[in-house]
Amino acid sequence: MQNIELYKLSKKVYREGVFHSQLQSAGSNQARFLERVEKDKIARMPDMILKFMSAIYIGILFIIPLRSFGEIYGSLLSGTSIEWVTLVGGGSIGAFLLFQPIILLVFSITFVWGLMSGGPYEWVNTLPFARKDVEKLGLFTFFRSMNVQLIVMALVLPIGSIVSIYFFLGEQISIVNCTILVIFSIIQSFVSIVFYLSIAVILGRKLAGVMEEHEGGSKKNNIIRIGTMVLYLIVSMLAMYTIQIAMDKIPLLYASESLSPQTANIINIVLSFVAYPFSSSYILTGTVIGFFEIPPLVVIGSVTGFILFVILTIFVFSKALRTLRSITSTDIKLRDVEERKIELDDIVAKKVTPVKAFFKRDLSIITREMQGIMYLIMPIMIPIYGAIVPLDFQSIGSYGLSANFLVLVFYIIMTSYMLIVGLTNIEAGGETITASMPIVVRDQVKAKIPYFFGTILLAYLSWFLFAIKYPEFWILLRFGLLYLLAIPIIGIAGLFFKAATFGKLKNKFVLEEIQNKYKFLKYVIGFIFVAVLAYGFALIGGFLGYWIMFGVEIVSLALLSVVFHFMFPKLKT
Amino acid sequence: MKEEMNDEIITEKLEHIETDFIESNIEEGNGKNVVKVRNLTKSFGPVMAVNNVSFEVRKGEIFGLLGPNGAGKTTCVKLLLGLLEPDHGEIEVFGLDPGKDEITIKNNIGYVSEEPLIYKSMTPRQLFDFIISIRNLDEAEAQDKLRYYFDSLEALQYYDKLIATLSRGNKQKMQVIASLIHDPDLLIMDEPLTGLDAKSAKVVKEITELHTDRGGSVIFSTHILEVAEEVCDRIAIINHGKLVAIGTIEELSKMANKAGADLEDIFLRLTEQDESVNKIINDLRKMMKNNNKK
Ligand SMILES: Nc1ncnc2c1ncn2[C@@H]1O[C@H](COP(=O)(O)OP(=O)(O)OP(=O)(O)O)[C@@H](O)[C@H]1O
Ligand SMILES: [Mg+2]
Repeated sequence: MQNIELYKLSKKVYREGVFHSQLQSAGSNQARFLERVEKDKIARMPDMILKFMSAIYIGILFIIPLRSFGEIYGSLLSGTSIEWVTLVGGGSIGAFLLFQPIILLVFSITFVWGLMSGGPYEWVNTLPFARKDVEKLGLFTFFRSMNVQLIVMALVLPIGSIVSIYFFLGEQISIVNCTILVIFSIIQSFVSIVFYLSIAVILGRKLAGVMEEHEGGSKKNNIIRIGTMVLYLIVSMLAMYTIQIAMDKIPLLYASESLSPQTANIINIVLSFVAYPFSSSYILTGTVIGFFEIPPLVVIGSVTGFILFVILTIFVFSKALRTLRSITSTDIKLRDVEERKIELDDIVAKKVTPVKAFFKRDLSIITREMQGIMYLIMPIMIPIYGAIVPLDFQSIGSYGLSANFLVLVFYIIMTSYMLIVGLTNIEAGGETITASMPIVVRDQVKAKIPYFFGTILLAYLSWFLFAIKYPEFWILLRFGLLYLLAIPIIGIAGLFFKAATFGKLKNKFVLEEIQNKYKFLKYVIGFIFVAVLAYGFALIGGFLGYWIMFGVEIVSLALLSVVFHFMFPKLKT
Repeated sequence: MKEEMNDEIITEKLEHIETDFIESNIEEGNGKNVVKVRNLTKSFGPVMAVNNVSFEVRKGEIFGLLGPNGAGKTTCVKLLLGLLEPDHGEIEVFGLDPGKDEITIKNNIGYVSEEPLIYKSMTPRQLFDFIISIRNLDEAEAQDKLRYYFDSLEALQYYDKLIATLSRGNKQKMQVIASLIHDPDLLIMDEPLTGLDAKSAKVVKEITELHTDRGGSVIFSTHILEVAEEVCDRIAIINHGKLVAIGTIEELSKMANKAGADLEDIFLRLTEQDESVNKIINDLRKMMKNNNKK
């Protein structure tokens, strides 16, 4: 089969996967959801928002090579040793290359994970395709799941090079070197994309394996599962943190030479042999400085390293293909667990209140599904990345801390909204078993509320820890503490708003997405609603006084509980 | 030739009997009806999935919904549960409106859906604890039932496995148990035997019978005549969303005998499958002959 045809077909497989997850999020209302889908055939693309968000984050990384290229000449003129400049250039651009796939994975893992279940491939496997074609199909499907991000990623380095040439490098280095820089950027981007895509496939499979293949129940496996997630959390947070430092500190790094040229040179030589990510970064740095200026061993090392990188990519790529073969053939490999015989006495029923039961169920789904855990992790990660880290590394002007607080509020809005979407999607699971159960939506909603007091508040409070060293902190503190109550309020109000816009049935409101018309618009309006609330409270506090804000919060809380009783009334069962 | 003659006679007689049956049934309506459906209609765009259907389900009976694929059985069941809203018609379950008294109704219904979609990321242990909590059942009683059903359906060793890893039939068993654990008055089972091995199928059939012996009612949807014959007390035959016959097995058989045919002929005829079946079989034969494998 032609690659083009396979690529076209992969759209079907991908859409199938997305539709699958949509169907799941319709939960016990699948029948109604299907009925509406039938009538309303507009293709919905729930994956687009996350795709573009991660593409933006990847695009931001653009700053690293730009800053690095920009500093090289100035540093050399001001007398910094060429070895040190090479080290910082190679190191920082290498870090940039390393962060790219990490960000890609941090954001895209949910898609990767979703596609790893193998479901959408099942029917493909029944078709008379050559095995090679099925593998390719799998790869194309994966590509589709992160095409926007990968394309942005492919463009970042070449565009970064062209922009730097246009603005400053063009005057500093020869035309030949400029040409090499652009061409190599393009080659490097292409190889990297194949490399990242393969890594995503392999890693996604590993993660899916950890989540899926373990037998339930056993303590050891729960620990492995949760451990993996915590590890993932730590890695992604560290990455975000380091990226922030790298972006801010690059000029400072060039200026503060702290190793002897000899030592720096040895490090350079060693690093340049490292296939990924440093060989490419040394080639790039070398091109900007001039190949004849830097020690030949570094040049030889980086070229050798890059060849190794290409070989490594081919190897990883073929491994990814093999991995895809195993999902596309839908065999779930169960890890050997010693079979424990279950006796009648082992069946013990445990009853809790409905609210607790929903909470427990949510937790058990969340900790097993990447997508679920993401919604719990993001609320910590994003404010830290967006507001807290700059607080620590940038000099803050006189209005700085208040301005930074407003940035923090923005991230709180974003994460609250993500949590809302995430929590309502968990209510899902496409489980017809709940369809026949006497489910009181009120209990479902109650079980979600604790989440709004969890990670977001944690992120918010950690901002104060970082802000403590600024003099304005003490002025802001009282405001900040009184604002604390606003955070769960905006989250819960947002949740109700979503239920009102998406979940209205004849005589009740549900959390599932039933009214799918104008879906995108409703999402946007929901976001604006949350934002208006969040900034509304802050503005009231800023202009009318802290205590008035607090009063408004209390009133809002009362109002919210009235709305709660109205939307989700107590039912006699 | 002879067959064709026969067919005509059957059709003629049937038309007569059909209306008879439906009418007699409506008149019979009494206080003991668990489910009452009047002129129920539901369409999906141009498709009339359920078309002006009326029937009752009485206390203590196993009521079969029989019809070919796509006849509208599942849609009917979903309407009864309030999972879909009807276009027209009235539904009463225990004398209540599923659109309004959803909770009360669901408290007294056990539902086995066509597809065993149950929480994949849970184990049966977690699932049943969840169900017991949501349904607010007595812990000890529920536990006894769980033990009993897991034992009799031979599913004990799956109690702590991830549901995602269970086989189709074992998932189906989980569904069946989940539908029984709260001792509902009405069991609604949509093709409950799909995927079950012979022994488990027998157990499930047995369970439905015991259930009705104790005064419960069952709505049993199936596309297989033999199953309906074996299990059900009364059968409604549905085709293209329309109710074409309703009655006890004896009544339907008697009607068939009167028309000089057996129940299968009647079923195929009523659901307009007979002609097409004969034609399809003939075509198939021809095709197979031509394509004979060497
Ligand atoms: N959500 C839906 N949207 C559109 N059409 C639907 C929907 N659900 C069912 N239908 C259509 O309604 C008709 C009746 O379907 P239904 O599932 O009730 O049949 P069934 O008798 O249960 O068949 P089977 O024996 O295959 O289970 C079919 O033509 C089907 O295509
Ligand atoms: Mg059906």
